[in-house]
Amino acid sequence: MQDLTDIQQFIDFAEKELQVQGLSPQSEFRKISSWSSLNALLFISGVNEHADVLISSADLASCTTLGDIHSLIVNRIHGFSTN
Amino acid sequence: MALAQTKGASIEGIVTVVPSQTEDNSLLDLLTESERESLITHTGIRYRHIVPAGVRFVDYVQKATEILCEKLEWSSDSIDVFITVTQSPDQPLPSVSCDVHGKMGMPPHTLCFDINSGCSGFVYGLYTVYSLLQGLNKPGARAILICGDFSSRFTDPQDRSVKPVFSDAVSAIGIRFDAHSDTISGYFNLETVGKGFDAIKVTPPDAFMRMQGIDVFNYTLRYVPDNIQKLITYSGKKQEELQMAVFHQANRLINETIRKKAGFPEEKVPYTLYEYGNTGSATIPLTLGCAWNDGYDSSWILISGFGVGFSVASALIPFSPKVFGLPVEL
Repeated sequence: MQDLTDIQQFIDFAEKELQVQGLSPQSEFRKISSWSSLNALLFISGVNEHADVLISSADLASCTTLGDIHSLIVNRIHGFSTN
Repeated sequence: MALAQTKGASIEGIVTVVPSQTEDNSLLDLLTESERESLITHTGIRYRHIVPAGVRFVDYVQKATEILCEKLEWSSDSIDVFITVTQSPDQPLPSVSCDVHGKMGMPPHTLCFDINSGCSGFVYGLYTVYSLLQGLNKPGARAILICGDFSSRFTDPQDRSVKPVFSDAVSAIGIRFDAHSDTISGYFNLETVGKGFDAIKVTPPDAFMRMQGIDVFNYTLRYVPDNIQKLITYSGKKQEELQMAVFHQANRLINETIRKKAGFPEEKVPYTLYEYGNTGSATIPLTLGCAWNDGYDSSWILISGFGVGFSVASALIPFSPKVFGLPVEL
């Protein structure tokens, strides 16, 4: 189980799920070569498994970078927004 | 939450028909080779059965009904209730059920209509039929529930999310009512989350089905395990007593997540995704027909359907059919 509130563990998780190296919080996930509808679903499923957070397509649409998704997860876990 | 129970009915047999023509996801030219491998691994779907152009849905319904009646030794004039659950009729009206009623020479007293429902449709249909039979209160009354779709009619050949998942099938389920029985025939939990309307829908102007896979995943995870746990609590049964748990075959990723959240061991949760894909409201009866065997005791099972609507429906039913088996290819 990874702690996805930790930014480095979140980036490690993203690199593993998307099978790509060299990602950073500034990486724009839609521009990652392996980002597809299936891999997006796997990514969201992994977030749910590790952090028990559900991310909707509307949530994702509001994000541009991996850092944005990480902030969303942190906010959900700390109760700043409804899940 | 709509928790309910029914009495006196039981499933006597299940027959599923599928097109013999298949498409193989390992050859899908929409995807790269690595994407195809990943798709099959994570969705669990290798083959999809697709009807050839020009084939009528009603003909599959009639064929499934004829095979079921033959195996159960039911004559078409002995059918009291005939209900079709589908979202892909050949025409908006009249109903598929009335069409088959006429083609098979069912009597005027047969209660006939269609239900527009998708992935949760088998459970909704079963509750409807069980309730109708209870209302009729006729000893030995016979009902046939049809569940299925030709989803390929709504499939955009270029849609990488929808095309690799959906498949065509029609199931016919024979149900008998024992008016003298006070035995509970099912516990149901039928729910709707209408705010999930956009997750799966057929949209104009192209009339293709569009699916927001992430939202389907979200709604499923948010509502299905809870729906099941409330049902089990309502029934007073112990989860470990259930012979098997048959989920709507959405895709392996979603289904495995539900299985783990709902706390069912792998050996009690059968899959038919690899060979048959997601056949809408037919997935549960299709899987029941494949997974059941004579070695099982007559015992309670869980069935759970979820999807388009967004609709969630689960039931606990006693299950020991006389007729079951692999789908018949047409």
